[in-house]
Amino acid sequence: MDKLSQQQVELIVRTMAETAIKNEAYFSELDAVMGDADFGVSLAGGFKAVLAQWDKFDMSSIGSFLLSVSKEITGNTGGCSGPVWGTLFMRCGMAFKGKADVSLDEIIAAFKSAIEGIMKRGGAQIGDKTLIDALDAIVKSFEKSVADNTPLLEAFRKASDAAVEMRETTKDWVAKRGRQSFTGDRSIGTYDPGIVAIGDMSKAIVAALS
Amino acid sequence: MKKFVNDPANFVKEMFEGIYLANKDKLKWVPEYNILYRADLPKDKVVVMQGSGSGHEPAHSMVVGPGMLDACCPGNIFAAPPMDYVYECTKLIANDKGVLHLINNYQGDRMAWDMAREMAEADGIKIGVVIIDDDVSVTNSLYTVGRRGVAGNFFVIKAVGAAAAKGKSLEELVALGEKVNKNVRSMGIALSSCTPPAKGAPIFDIGDDEIEIGIGIHGEPGRRRDKIRSASEIIEEVFTAVHDDIPFQKGDRVAIMVNGMGGTPISELYLLYGLAAKKAEAKGLTIVKNYVGNYCTSLEMQGFSLTLLKLDSEIESLLNEPAEIPIRVF
Repeated sequence: MDKLSQQQVELIVRTMAETAIKNEAYFSELDAVMGDADFGVSLAGGFKAVLAQWDKFDMSSIGSFLLSVSKEITGNTGGCSGPVWGTLFMRCGMAFKGKADVSLDEIIAAFKSAIEGIMKRGGAQIGDKTLIDALDAIVKSFEKSVADNTPLLEAFRKASDAAVEMRETTKDWVAKRGRQSFTGDRSIGTYDPGIVAIGDMSKAIVAALS
Repeated sequence: MKKFVNDPANFVKEMFEGIYLANKDKLKWVPEYNILYRADLPKDKVVVMQGSGSGHEPAHSMVVGPGMLDACCPGNIFAAPPMDYVYECTKLIANDKGVLHLINNYQGDRMAWDMAREMAEADGIKIGVVIIDDDVSVTNSLYTVGRRGVAGNFFVIKAVGAAAAKGKSLEELVALGEKVNKNVRSMGIALSSCTPPAKGAPIFDIGDDEIEIGIGIHGEPGRRRDKIRSASEIIEEVFTAVHDDIPFQKGDRVAIMVNGMGGTPISELYLLYGLAAKKAEAKGLTIVKNYVGNYCTSLEMQGFSLTLLKLDSEIESLLNEPAEIPIRVF
């Protein structure tokens, strides 16, 4: 199976940043339904810092690049989104240390490590209606693609579909973590902004890679 | 709002510059990451660092010195330090003996320090962690993952700072820090709110005749809002809450702290100390050491907190060890 190059990883991060910035108001509106309406602004703030510091990043490997991204995200994203999204990039950065390209198997291992890191950081579990559920859907889809020997881009497309699907699947769940959880059963019937963001980013990534 | 300030966004940076310029021979300053560290940074002992938010001075930026912290990297006013502050500070001061992270128990701090620790450990740095959560007023609040860390952090810093200077290992220091934390309890009362410079307005409203019982050091609500009462009645409630929590017992040797929140004159703090000391004696406690003044503040908030620390011979001797910090009278 083909591998993801460093150039493609950089494109993925840039696409995530552009998606976060483009949807700043929309993500905040989603958060306003049940949370404190700062998610879009917080996330865009972090990714704006990533783009602003891009030229100063250590590009010697995929790992060093993602660790640079992690530091900017963590330091510039407001609220608890900083450590959560920062951990995603940090764990992937650590997993990809010194690598110029990465296989789907390596991506799966990195994502699993990221999910474990985010769960440890914020105390959320799979099924708590957080972005962990979207990441978990991506991992499961990737695992199936490895088993089926699906080409890389097709594997990304399938994973993206799975992430987008989680947005509807989780709509009727009760939020158990984060600011939304304070509202208890009232969170039923609402979208989780983190899950929506991962879905939207995945869609944009597939479009960018195609 | 009236404050001595230029651009509010630069408030913390300019404060740090002042601390540095007043102590150029003793401290080094890394403005980019809000790091202050000892100019004579030791290489042959475990180094101790603390972060937390700014706005609590002299905690924590003004307690860097021999026998106390080796470095600090606070965040903005009332904000946890970003992960990279902690990571960069850890890397800067690290040596073979290890780095001890002292963390006040708030969600933002816990996550930022946890990430920084993970990254530093991946670099091969040995790290120990002590979480401080001495506030008895609430079991949980807005920014916490359990009890809050407040003025009791002074005793953890003092004890582990002294023990680190004596060459204790990282593991021994973690155990010591946990022991001090287990034996220290605090609770605060606010008469007024405070105004973070960048916010420009008080962080909560409180009536002229009201007090907040169990106030947090970031203005978070405590146990309840009540009408102002006599100092004796207030000490009665606060002392009982702190005393009964461990609980302290007749015959215990204790250190007692009456900590100012920033806007209460030292005259009132001593008045409160006198009342608290008499309560302690009535309960059969032996006051071995006392601390009266501003140790862990909340900007210009009027208020105080009471801290009791149960001593054993190890903690008592460590509190008596010499230390030196930038704040000085002579």
